[in-house]
Amino acid sequence: MVVSERRLSLPNNPITGIVLAIPGYFAGVWLGTLFGLDDDQNTGIILGYLFATAAFLIGIGFLNYPLERLFGWQVTPVTDPAENTGIGRFFRLSLDHKVIGIQYLVTILIMLLFGGIGAMLIRTSLLVPDSTITPPGNYISLIGLHAVMMIFITSAVIVGPFGNYLVPLMIGARRMAFPRLEALSFWVVPPAAVILAAATFWGGFPTGWTGYPPLSVQAGQGMDSYIVGFALIAVALVTSGINMLATIIGLRAPGMTWTRLPMFVWGIFTTSILGLLAAPVLAAALIMLAMDRTVNTSFFLASNGGSNYLWENLFWFFGHPEVYIFILPAFGIIMEIVPHFARKPLWGYRTGVVGLFGVALLSWFVWQHHLFVSGIAPVLRPFYMLSTELISIPTGIIFLVVLGTLWRARVWFTVPMLFCMGFLFNFLIGGISGVYLSDVPTDVTLHGSYFSMAHFHYTIMGGEIFALMAAAYYWLPKMTGKMLSPTIGRIHFWWMFIAFNSTFFPLFIVGLLNMPRRVAAYNPDLVGLNRWVTISAYFLFGSMLVFAGNLIYSWFFVARPAVANPWHARSLEWQVPTPVPAANFDRVPVIVAGPYEYGIPNARPVADLGGIVGATGGG
Amino acid sequence: MAVRTRAYEADAAAAAALDTRLAGIGTWLFLAADLFFFVAWWFAFFYLRALNNHQDWKAQGIGPPSKGYGAIVLVLALATAITYFLGSRQATMAFLFRLLTPVALVLGIATCLFQGYEMWHLGFGLTEGGYPSVFSGLSGAWVIQFALATAWLASIVTQTGPAGDTIVRRQPAASFAWILLYLAAIGLVNYFLLYVVA
Repeated sequence: MVVSERRLSLPNNPITGIVLAIPGYFAGVWLGTLFGLDDDQNTGIILGYLFATAAFLIGIGFLNYPLERLFGWQVTPVTDPAENTGIGRFFRLSLDHKVIGIQYLVTILIMLLFGGIGAMLIRTSLLVPDSTITPPGNYISLIGLHAVMMIFITSAVIVGPFGNYLVPLMIGARRMAFPRLEALSFWVVPPAAVILAAATFWGGFPTGWTGYPPLSVQAGQGMDSYIVGFALIAVALVTSGINMLATIIGLRAPGMTWTRLPMFVWGIFTTSILGLLAAPVLAAALIMLAMDRTVNTSFFLASNGGSNYLWENLFWFFGHPEVYIFILPAFGIIMEIVPHFARKPLWGYRTGVVGLFGVALLSWFVWQHHLFVSGIAPVLRPFYMLSTELISIPTGIIFLVVLGTLWRARVWFTVPMLFCMGFLFNFLIGGISGVYLSDVPTDVTLHGSYFSMAHFHYTIMGGEIFALMAAAYYWLPKMTGKMLSPTIGRIHFWWMFIAFNSTFFPLFIVGLLNMPRRVAAYNPDLVGLNRWVTISAYFLFGSMLVFAGNLIYSWFFVARPAVANPWHARSLEWQVPTPVPAANFDRVPVIVAGPYEYGIPNARPVADLGGIVGATGGG
Repeated sequence: MAVRTRAYEADAAAAAALDTRLAGIGTWLFLAADLFFFVAWWFAFFYLRALNNHQDWKAQGIGPPSKGYGAIVLVLALATAITYFLGSRQATMAFLFRLLTPVALVLGIATCLFQGYEMWHLGFGLTEGGYPSVFSGLSGAWVIQFALATAWLASIVTQTGPAGDTIVRRQPAASFAWILLYLAAIGLVNYFLLYVVA
């Protein structure tokens, strides 16, 4: 059989994708209506979303490779990054990890804006205690949309932009292991966001992000958006996990031993393991839920042989590792950045890695603490209480590593470092409040209250988003070639830090005063605290606008070019020129030293780069 | 700095070795993820069976479809995987590879058709309790994956020309044998659960 030189000639770009997605959606709806077993359109809507997503991906160009293979045509080789230039590359299928990183960054920032607006609407509703601003039904839908959107975002906000852009640079690789998978992990995110937002046209979904049956089985068509949107995120987590792990395992440069791997890469490595293994469980649970809603199976309906506890177990088997999917890369960022600005070696490198793996491992054994108040067998409670408390040990180890690095250091308080300090402060409060929630007696009292809500916002926003900001100020100069204004950055930090604590700390108090979460109306005695929180939340949103203003000001008005290594850091990504060359390195570098050997006399440069660019020594 | 090198390594042998390594790593990672997907279904099987809410795990008159028919599907799946595995151990230019791979493809298509036929003629409705739910979901998820694997197998067959991807990059084609073997093994477990244990 002779391989043909023919090519698929469809113009591949997002416009083609959208043009194909619209008829794709209606084809799915038509098929669903034709074969659906019920009259509430769920089958049609789910098929419509799936067909639209598939059609969008075809328009982007994802079917070219499998079809060219199947037809026996010559397979299109991986695009040469050097030929992939110009602004247009950010708007089409690219197999360059740097382009995908930027695509992720912009997409996630736009999604973050919408998620933030949702939060502002929620807080605005709570200005009054009697749900007059937002009716209860709309309020719970708003909560659900905000929550799922933010779960989408926080799953990808570090791994997507920074993981994709930086991991190959940090390990001395010239590309990712599976560039098509990497691109797929990004291109399913926009359809997922649009499908989730489409829930508003169907009246939203009343379950929050947890989707508990039987409500999720009985809910309106907005629930179908939840199912398909979340399933697409599961696809993104699995494909991203395979690509990241294979890259880190298989493409490390010579000399990049496991003990020289940067901590940020370890954070990505451990979180990728969790995403790879947890997301398929969610996918299976979502398929079961879709079947219950469309072909009337009984996975989750107790009246017909099913059980809602089946969902709760499957969901939280994914859901609790999921929260560590958020935080492990954040730990990696903090342990990566702190030694660079403390100008000291990372204190307890191996201990820190053990801490990351300890958190990752234990995260599989804690999910039933989410079921303490929903009827878990009492005999199981002590085990899950203890396993949850145990997870504070590896987390504490990570804190110890960071504090040990800071001990007696002459810290360079740059903007990234300020955000690292903010992370430590916030996450400490989030972590300690989590210990209370892991204990059965306090959890039974506080689980449904704002205490729990304050806890996870301290860990996710106070932790992960502060780490994200540290990463942004630290690595964006390398990624964009432009320095961000440090003055505006400092204003941003202090504004965000104060507004964040002013917003979320009082929520511990309103939680202790029994204000229930997910409910639009509350005790009028708490109106003063709630108004304080709402006004603080507006300020917090304002701090994000300061960040956006810094980006616009620094990129378009001042445009101060970034030098190759503005922080005088040792790690490998700073040893390549800015902007980063198309293939990263002229040749595969040879790593000869670790990335944190600051202050060590006669420390060798981190790598032999073939004399193209100079590596920074210790100092 | 103009960087025009397409391959990761300029040396073709090193690039091929890297390709082999990445294909192997990627395959095993995918299998690990997919195993968790099926573990979720097996968990649903045992959970609902043990709970037997309202005695509706298997309502009166509900039972597994024909064991013999299920066994035929299983044997076809195993035959597909083993045939391709044996073929893929040969050099991709070898006669045995060119003979066995199309045979595996035909067996794979037959597996999907037989399983599909069975699912249209289950003898029970999907709404009739826990067991019908798990049977349809688990078998459906398995056959969809097997169908996708068969489509990939078809692309391996169509790429066996002189400059085809199967010949140029033979290691990914060899690694694919593990995916078929894995799916056949999953089919074996499913058969044991759905036809014997249930």
